[in-house]
Amino acid sequence: MYTFICENNIDGIFTGVYDAWASRYGHKNIRLLSQPPANYELFQEYITVIPDCNKSEKVARTLKNRLGEEVHYLICQAILANELTTRKGGLDKADCVYRTIVLGLAMNDGTKVLQALGEPYVHRVFELSRATEAESHHLLGFLRFSELENGVLFATIHPKNNVLPVLGEHFTDRLPMENFLIYDEVRRLAIIHKAGKHYLIADASTLNQDIIKRYSEKELEYRRLWCAFFDSIAIDTRKNPALQQQNIPKRFWKDTVELSGTHNEKIP
Amino acid sequence: MHITESLSLMDKLNILSDAAKYDVACTSSGIDRSGNGKGMGNTLAPGICHTFSADGRCVSLLKILFTNECIFRCAYCQNNCNTDVPRASFTPDEVCTLTMEFYRRNYIEGLFLSSGILVSPSYTMELIYQTIYKLRNIHRFNGYIHVKAIPGADPLLIEKTGFLADRMSINMELPTAQSLRALAPNKSRTTILKPMRMIQSGITQNRYDVALYRQAPHFVPAGQSTQMIIGATPESDYQVIKVAESLYQNFELKRVFYSAFINVTHSSQLPALPGGPPLLREHRLYQADWLLRYYHFQADELLSETRPDFNVFLDPKCDWALRHLEYFPVEINRADYKTLLRVPGIGAKSAKRIVTARRMNRLDFADLKKIGVVLKRALYFITCSGKMMYNTKLEEDYICQNLMRDKTQIPKEFRHSGYEQLSLFDAEHLADFGINANKCSSLL
Ligand code: SF4
Repeated sequence: MYTFICENNIDGIFTGVYDAWASRYGHKNIRLLSQPPANYELFQEYITVIPDCNKSEKVARTLKNRLGEEVHYLICQAILANELTTRKGGLDKADCVYRTIVLGLAMNDGTKVLQALGEPYVHRVFELSRATEAESHHLLGFLRFSELENGVLFATIHPKNNVLPVLGEHFTDRLPMENFLIYDEVRRLAIIHKAGKHYLIADASTLNQDIIKRYSEKELEYRRLWCAFFDSIAIDTRKNPALQQQNIPKRFWKDTVELSGTHNEKIP
Repeated sequence: MHITESLSLMDKLNILSDAAKYDVACTSSGIDRSGNGKGMGNTLAPGICHTFSADGRCVSLLKILFTNECIFRCAYCQNNCNTDVPRASFTPDEVCTLTMEFYRRNYIEGLFLSSGILVSPSYTMELIYQTIYKLRNIHRFNGYIHVKAIPGADPLLIEKTGFLADRMSINMELPTAQSLRALAPNKSRTTILKPMRMIQSGITQNRYDVALYRQAPHFVPAGQSTQMIIGATPESDYQVIKVAESLYQNFELKRVFYSAFINVTHSSQLPALPGGPPLLREHRLYQADWLLRYYHFQADELLSETRPDFNVFLDPKCDWALRHLEYFPVEINRADYKTLLRVPGIGAKSAKRIVTARRMNRLDFADLKKIGVVLKRALYFITCSGKMMYNTKLEEDYICQNLMRDKTQIPKEFRHSGYEQLSLFDAEHLADFGINANKCSSLL
């Protein structure tokens, strides 16, 4: 058995898919992992995959051509999901992706591969993809930008899954002429977007924590206006905190303006 | 009337969002439009909720009135010319600034602009038009805009606005012309339906234009919607859904919204509703609306002159099924898609899956469960290969009693908030349906 240990991101796992395929060890004898194993087993060969943009690009192209844009997108989304294995530890994310691709390429019509939900690994890819999708859809709405002194729009998020690429596409399309930065504090990664350009995802572990607290002159005023709107739009006779919490789960509250419970303190 | 000039933006926003909150539509759905690389904004067909207010409703658009001054006298409305409330009006620039600054910060998906009637319907419509014009052309806003068309305004103004907005709506307000006369003396069926018809033909015409010249500007691309107030007047559910049905069929509306009446004006013309707004009834109407739009039901099948209201304790599909036991049981391995759709506990998705899956092999109850059928509802109405799941009787009272034992008939949010209100009128309401109250004791 040959085990390919991949880096847990799109390039890492796609490179793993490429290397595994190119190794010609036979699919049955191959396993991919999206993290180093807890215990190394005897009589196993472990191969550490070094992410390679060219290989990853090739895999992406093959997926788009043979399995279609949509399947490619959904597989990427699955890779961005947080859970590396199922709760019982059975199905590794990278391995599920690999097997789904192998199956898709063997089918007459590879665009239908994600309908083969009877296959546990396809089902897993589907589930993971949905987890990322649901959370990113939430954040398209729940994310809040603050305007900093230097005019940059800044947002902090704490997502379970790596939603940055999805958010990057969305906000670049939506706010093309703004400079903005979306900071994933869990992963210490950030989207950096310059007006009129495409976005980048960068390591943000050295982000200047001072600058992001210096708001523009108008910022607090708009926050206050927003909170006033938020309070007055609710209908008292229909008050329903249970429904509210069901719709916007508590874990998102601290990164919003209106529900963080801090807007009153911050505002003089 | 209060002087508005000295009000700050904050005061105005407080007054004019408070005055807009009873309009229930806040969706930003119906159209996909990518950014244009220069201005600001795009739209997504499913819509995006940006937050949820304390009443649990989605906040998607900056929902405000342009002004809450009003020369009309609608009895149910807190802005009518007889009430003593603080009045305010925005300027077009103020609306633009709020929209742009909120949008950049990702507070909102766009703007929902409605208005009281200042000076005259056309005068007000002109102000709304100017506002939207500035937003689109000066601020280059490319996000979602929903505008109210003011009944009685110059058609040309409504048309011009339609080329800038994504969605337009004119509220039906009340289901019958009679109620409208009684409560909204300055409005009439004609002043409401005429612009609605105009927008409809505008949309149809625009479809051709856009097909011919791809550059043609879009007219109300996310369609039109309307709203009816429920429980202010004595109309039955039957009357309400008949109106909704004809709006969908004859006016091609995208959505009809229902708004549980809240007595804000405390006018003696209106019911007092000590149990609070009729939220559960509103919920049942939304469910029925869903049956009209997606399940091929007709209003006349759901209710009738002799049985004009839904049983609020059951979802309308269960209610319908109980009264049409002659259609059941349905054989899962044979029934066509439309028949399956009518079975309680089988949604559109499960119906499709059943049709696909049974091509491979005969389905049994375990398969249905995997497919996502809600068996505790469906089991009374179906057979698999000729067999029922349990030895149940096909009998109205018996099934009703069992279905009511199922807590999920009343959604969680109503079990918490609307429960007392529910038990206020239960006995009497149940009697209306020929149901003996003690049979439903498990619920009460
Ligand atoms: S027209 Fe009627 S409903 Fe509209 S603001 Fe005036 S009084 Fe209220």
